[in-house]
Amino acid sequence: MESVNFRRHEIESKSFLVVDDFGDMRSMIKGMLATIGVTDIDLAANGADAVTAMEKRRYDIVLCDYNLGAGKNGQQVLEEARHRELIGLGSMFIMVTAENTREIVMSAVEYEPDAYLTKPFTKDLLRSRLVRLAGKQKDLEDVEHAVRSKEFEKAVELLDEKLAVQTRNLGELTKLKAEFCLRAGSHDKAEAVYREALSRHDLPWARLGLGRVLYATGRLDEAKMVFDELSRDNPGFTAAYDWLARTLRSMNRHRDAQATLQKAVELSPQAILRQKALGQLALHNEDHDTAERALSHAVKLGHHSVYKEPLLYAGLARAKAGKGAGEQGLKILAEMEKVFRGQPTSALYSAMVEGEIHSAAGRTQEAEDCLVRAGELYRAIGDEVPAHLTLELARTSGKLGNHEQAKALLKDAVRNNHAETELLREVGDLVRDLNMDIDPESFIGDIRKEIVHLNNRGVQMARAGRLQEAVGLFEEAAAAMPGNKVVNLNCARVLIMSMRETGLNRAHLEKVHEFLNRVQRADPENPQLRRVQNMYQQLVKESA
Amino acid sequence: MNFADVMASSIHDMKNSLWMVINTLESLDDVPGTELGRDQLCLLRQEAKRLNTNLIELLTLYKMENGRVSADVRESYLSEFFEERVLENEASARALGIALDWECDPDLHGFFDEGLVMGVVNSLIGNGLRYARSRLMLSGGEEDGFLAIRVEDDGEGFPEAMLDSGDAAGQGIEWLQGRTHLGIYFARMVAGLHSNKGLKGRIHIGNGGSLGGGSFTILLP
Repeated sequence: MESVNFRRHEIESKSFLVVDDFGDMRSMIKGMLATIGVTDIDLAANGADAVTAMEKRRYDIVLCDYNLGAGKNGQQVLEEARHRELIGLGSMFIMVTAENTREIVMSAVEYEPDAYLTKPFTKDLLRSRLVRLAGKQKDLEDVEHAVRSKEFEKAVELLDEKLAVQTRNLGELTKLKAEFCLRAGSHDKAEAVYREALSRHDLPWARLGLGRVLYATGRLDEAKMVFDELSRDNPGFTAAYDWLARTLRSMNRHRDAQATLQKAVELSPQAILRQKALGQLALHNEDHDTAERALSHAVKLGHHSVYKEPLLYAGLARAKAGKGAGEQGLKILAEMEKVFRGQPTSALYSAMVEGEIHSAAGRTQEAEDCLVRAGELYRAIGDEVPAHLTLELARTSGKLGNHEQAKALLKDAVRNNHAETELLREVGDLVRDLNMDIDPESFIGDIRKEIVHLNNRGVQMARAGRLQEAVGLFEEAAAAMPGNKVVNLNCARVLIMSMRETGLNRAHLEKVHEFLNRVQRADPENPQLRRVQNMYQQLVKESA
Repeated sequence: MNFADVMASSIHDMKNSLWMVINTLESLDDVPGTELGRDQLCLLRQEAKRLNTNLIELLTLYKMENGRVSADVRESYLSEFFEERVLENEASARALGIALDWECDPDLHGFFDEGLVMGVVNSLIGNGLRYARSRLMLSGGEEDGFLAIRVEDDGEGFPEAMLDSGDAAGQGIEWLQGRTHLGIYFARMVAGLHSNKGLKGRIHIGNGGSLGGGSFTILLP
């Protein structure tokens, strides 16, 4: 009894934000909370107001209706709140829905609410749910902390400790553990957890997880089988279609991948990330009608979403141009420039697609000017230009007949990402699409070999104690391919090893910082990054 | 906008109105001097809740028809599930003079979609409150590898034509003594969405049970 009272007290002292588009609803929920003993309650009438409120202060608990009329819906409020970290560690987002089915969860979403509450609910149910959630969350506080700082291995360790002593909610802990194993890159462990869960029950989440492990470890045929069966047995489980499409794309079956996503979009058309994926696939397949439909939808959904990006507009403009409506395409580009005023990526996309449209219309000089402008904008972004932009510019260069530039850019992309299977596959696709006079396999293979060889040589030097030589080698490599994660990490590693022998050195420390930061910005969840960061912290601690 | 969107948003609207009605009726209970209309109040609230349950059932069935619903099966504790169902329905039961209780091993857990099964159990409770004399009981247990969730009352029991049947009866919607079998049809559909290792969920309708009245069981693999 004691503990129950204590917990109830915890709920009473929390700060609440209630979001609903109906004034009567807001006051009713506020009234319920007040009867429970909550005093700190703010109200918001729509998604935009909710975001503004969360920008001003941190709420412990957000009770948000899914359906908020025009403007952002509840899922979009959640995405913005989590994406921009407007609600912090330990705060709860509860989605209030009118329905008891969970198709929203099943869509292509990155963020899930902490809980759902189905209307109508009574104040007794609300209190009970809040108390239970708060209890669960307190149990998982340390895990959440580890996850927020991307320390997935630590999160798994903490969950293992809990699994060893707890007797309740083991299913939920197991599900979390598998998820973090997957994100930490411990595929074997994740697979074991999923298979074990499946031996007990045909759980859709475990089947999806197993498929993801198979996909991540390159067992595409097996992955396809898992996703096929999962979507057949649970036709409403749209995440299965997303992964099936991804797998098919990796198998170079782009048409099948598109058909799969089309099915998922019919079931649940509100997921912007899925519309985006469908649009891009359709563009690749030169099905401009489908691309236009999907990307118009994505642009529209983007008005209220953190996932709004220039790529959606650029793709839509390309689809229009593909249908022979180049002028409409140019209008979309103008709109993009207005929406993303001053953003370099937007300007770059605009120059590229405009060039493509001029070229298709036979306006060679204008097209060439655009390509020159695109090149300048690209270089202005600097060393940390995302790889997909490099590929985009390569594509445009190739389409406009500048195969030399396309080849150079593709070479850059491979050099900076020689260990990224998906990206290399895209490079291969692109080389084939552009009908360049090179063999994609040997083009990629040769560059890869060169870099793998270089990395091996450096690692051997370091092992043999020739640290200065290794540092020299890797620094040169990192300067030539600043986006290459393996090279950056190796460079940081040998610098740390050399400081272990010669002591801390300010210039070296700064370099290590820079190399690690590069990887952190490009791929914050990289498991190797975690290891080298630990080496670095160890070094600083020992030298202190 | 297609029909599904129109339907979903209008149901959202209808449910908001119903919620206001239900909540207002519930708060009237606490106001002294409304003694006179207590029976009518009770009736109003019951009907509003039934309307709400029907809306949920219709919407879910519509989505099932279109292949939009799959069971999001997770591990849940039955005791927690029952506790919440009682909290949701306690006030109506009290007003009707019916004792609503639950009974099961506190450690009993099973695999099911809480949202869907919640719809089924709320609907069964709603019905049970109409037919029970003084008691309504939720109970759970394991039976031949199935999780059994049972709702029993001490009323007259189900009419002969509805019994037994388990899976044969109510395949279509029949009209019987002026009521549809929507709730039963819904329960059967939800049970059928649950499957495990080749087994499918099902329902069982019987009389007698531990309270001597109607006994409705949903069996989940």
